[in-house]
Amino acid sequence: MGRVVATEKKPNTAHEFHFWTSLDSPIGIGTIVRVDGETPVGGQVPRVYGIVVEGYSYTDLQSPIHDVLGHDGAPASATQAATLRAEIRLYTAHVLRQIPEEPLQPVPMGTVALASDEDVAVALRMDTYLKPGESTGIPAGVYRAGAMEAPIYLDAEFLLGPEAAHLNISGVSGLATKTSAVEWLMSSIFTHFPRQMGSVAAVCFNVKGPDLLFLDQPGELDDADRALYERLEVAPKPFDKVRYFAPYMAKGFSLNTIRSNEKLSQNVSPLTWGLNEVMQFAEVLLNRDDVDAKADALIDFLQERVINREFTDPVLTTPHRVRSFAELETFFRDLLRGMEDRSSGEHWRTHHVATIRKVRNRLSNISTRCAGLVTDEGTVSDLPFGSFQDRTVYVVDVASLEEDAQDLIFARVVSKLREHLERRDLGVSHVVVFVDELNKYAPGDGQDTYVRKMLLDISERGRYLGLVLFGAQQFRSQVHRRVVGNSGTSLYGRMDMDELATPGYAVLSPATRTKLATLEKGQLMVRHPHFAQPIFVRFPRPAVMRGRDGAELFPPAAEVTLEVAVFRSLRQLDPAISLDWVKRTIAGHEEHVVIRARNETVQARPDRVQPFFEARFRRVVPAEPLAAPAAAPLRHGPSSDDPYGF
Amino acid sequence: MGEQGDTLRTVVSATDTSFHAVRRRLSNALRDTAPLTDVPRALELSERGAREAPALREAELLEGRKQAARRLSGDPEARFDAFLDGSQLTLVAHWVGPVPVVHGTVSAVIRRRLDRRLTTWRAPIVRHALYAPVPLLSRAAADALDAAGVDVVDTMAQRDPDTAHPFALQDLAYLRVLADRERVEQELAEQWVAVEDGLLFIDGGIAGSAKVAAADNVVGVVKTHQTLHAAPEDLQVIAGLAVGERTGVVRIAGSRVPRARSRAVASWYLRTASAAGRDPFFGLVRIEVALATNAQPATLTKRADDVSRWVLAERTPLAIPDPRWDRMAYGIRDAEEYLRAVQ
Repeated sequence: MGRVVATEKKPNTAHEFHFWTSLDSPIGIGTIVRVDGETPVGGQVPRVYGIVVEGYSYTDLQSPIHDVLGHDGAPASATQAATLRAEIRLYTAHVLRQIPEEPLQPVPMGTVALASDEDVAVALRMDTYLKPGESTGIPAGVYRAGAMEAPIYLDAEFLLGPEAAHLNISGVSGLATKTSAVEWLMSSIFTHFPRQMGSVAAVCFNVKGPDLLFLDQPGELDDADRALYERLEVAPKPFDKVRYFAPYMAKGFSLNTIRSNEKLSQNVSPLTWGLNEVMQFAEVLLNRDDVDAKADALIDFLQERVINREFTDPVLTTPHRVRSFAELETFFRDLLRGMEDRSSGEHWRTHHVATIRKVRNRLSNISTRCAGLVTDEGTVSDLPFGSFQDRTVYVVDVASLEEDAQDLIFARVVSKLREHLERRDLGVSHVVVFVDELNKYAPGDGQDTYVRKMLLDISERGRYLGLVLFGAQQFRSQVHRRVVGNSGTSLYGRMDMDELATPGYAVLSPATRTKLATLEKGQLMVRHPHFAQPIFVRFPRPAVMRGRDGAELFPPAAEVTLEVAVFRSLRQLDPAISLDWVKRTIAGHEEHVVIRARNETVQARPDRVQPFFEARFRRVVPAEPLAAPAAAPLRHGPSSDDPYGF
Repeated sequence: MGEQGDTLRTVVSATDTSFHAVRRRLSNALRDTAPLTDVPRALELSERGAREAPALREAELLEGRKQAARRLSGDPEARFDAFLDGSQLTLVAHWVGPVPVVHGTVSAVIRRRLDRRLTTWRAPIVRHALYAPVPLLSRAAADALDAAGVDVVDTMAQRDPDTAHPFALQDLAYLRVLADRERVEQELAEQWVAVEDGLLFIDGGIAGSAKVAAADNVVGVVKTHQTLHAAPEDLQVIAGLAVGERTGVVRIAGSRVPRARSRAVASWYLRTASAAGRDPFFGLVRIEVALATNAQPATLTKRADDVSRWVLAERTPLAIPDPRWDRMAYGIRDAEEYLRAVQ
């Protein structure tokens, strides 16, 4: 295929070498090659593996003007030249591995060949983790060169911990490469994650559009995709076990998700939290510039002394047990009225009345700002922390929510995952958390937020817990350095040229950067701890329905009435329930009462749904028209014995 | 390809006969003489030394009664299948007192054109030898040369030097190397004509080999003009040739290389690049082809026109950056570059 060359001006080093090939060789940027040395070192003929990072082509011309002169300035006549000029294909390659590894010497002269399957495994040190019976390889795609195709495996111990962990993927928007790559990789992980390493689940935050909302529906694949699936030993089918979670809309009737088509509602659950769930993460929602130390102290007091406890105080008219936002509001109302009535001054337990009013305002505001997610009455419908199942995807759809609500969901879900993983009682030993738009949640600049601190914490300590962050973003340079820096594996789809001009990509050769800027859909550049240099791979389309297709095939349900919304929710629990029964049952009750009853029923999932739901309502006696009472005479008529009324 | 590669390896890598290896051996063997430590300058680049003296040599005109410029009819046409060129490198390897011992390398290659790309036909010939006036050396020095692992050529075997001046001895060696170079070129050309039907472009004359000079599929193109084959009154015609014009065909006896194996050829001058503003030899080549027995004038004219058109077609691509690009076919430049790489 080629020969190593070195000159005084362009010498080879232990990390870089040059070689030439015939003009028709299938070598290109990203091709992996093998060099066989000619002179034994220490009794062993050196063998070097490298990846092509730059290519040059030139002829024996010393100046372009000579070519112009040679063809009388007429380009067309060049095609009539009797002979084509001598031409060279000269390549520069970076060393992937040398055998023997010691002494580390400059790459020797020798022959260059395309790397075979076995060569690729050795070159990328995959041979160390693809041992039969104890393989920890997770197929990431295939490497192609010429007619050769070799699977590329990532090491599960370096992808999901504990050796290294986390994955970061960058790429321009609009090609669906990032989402597709993560969906494909999750399929691969679920198929190949070694049983001896435990169990694995995925929690995906759907932050925009319908991207992740049809993971359980089959997508379109062509023969080339199927061949890749076969080569990589992954079944070309959608995920078997997927559960969706979405908050309600502000009205509380139906779920706030594009996946609201009734045909797909069987695995969609509401996500609602009450005061207890939210207070721990109040910091996420409260503006730190607004909530000063005094307000913070009052919030701490409420959390420690008031919420979920029987609380009495001389100022209060009655003991309070605060379990919901509604009860918290009652508590504040009683407290402030008591302070006014008793003229107890402007302080209560060292807290100024203004601080109390401010905290009341900010906390009460939470259920308004996160309406649909946070309920006044404290109904909770949550992810199944503690009973997570192996090889299951849990999708939390936050795409339609306000930023505050998104942050709250993200912070709480990840915190709960971490808590359970620390206690080893989540249900699985590894959780992949997929977050798109990472540059929004963990930006490299701007003020420090709770969410960013959490992401940094996952990045730096998650691998010991089995909490693995799969992050995606368009501009890697805009994500916090510690987040991307702790990502053991990095994938790159087609990149924006401006992004490639940032310092983070300076380690890549100009040719590699250019290739990145022109990558086809379905191609990725992979960096992995075992790989000395980035590798280009091709991966199949995910076998799940594209979000856009899903939204067309399963259009979101139209806005429904309260009766229909309740009917649809309860019918999932009991198919025998009819719309008429729902109408009769909720007739005459206020809207918030009906919603609370529905939520409590959905949360409890009772065996006998109808009696349980009916019991949520106080009996309402239908209004009956009163019979007109007989008008009392103004005075009694004279009795027979007293005709004059005396 | 495999056959060619094997042959090449045999030729080049037998005992190391390269200049530096031979010079080391001579230095070890001739310890009583001072070894050379500098890198010598090739005699080809030396300003002193043997050069052919300028000469006019009249030739019998075969086309017309009087030499005249003739415009070619028809367009240039790429017809050549291969290009042959030779090369030499002559370096003084050792001085035994005033006697130079010269290391000579001669080589030749045919570059065949396939799909407009040039590849090597069979294997190139690369030979190394020591050239020295053996009778002038001591017995010990002669033995050292014999033990140097390379052929030894006695430069006085065929001709005595004009003087015992060391430079004259150098010139003698240079001329022998030159002759050997012509020999390997002829050897390779003879191999070609023996087995190939394709048209071969040879850099230089073809009269030195009777087999080659008689072959219809060989064209020699001479680009040096130390000797002009013309009568004095015809020089104006040659100097005045425009691009695409040639002179009438003449007969050149194989006397330039006075060997029995030489043979007469047909020859003419052709202008391949405009000499306007330059010397009259700019873009001027002399073409040699086999001289057919009893060839009719019309046949001769057609043959000369055809061959001239074929040669003209080799103007592109230019042989730049070679300084002789105005007269050199690109295929010949390619052959020279090839030999530079392997010799």
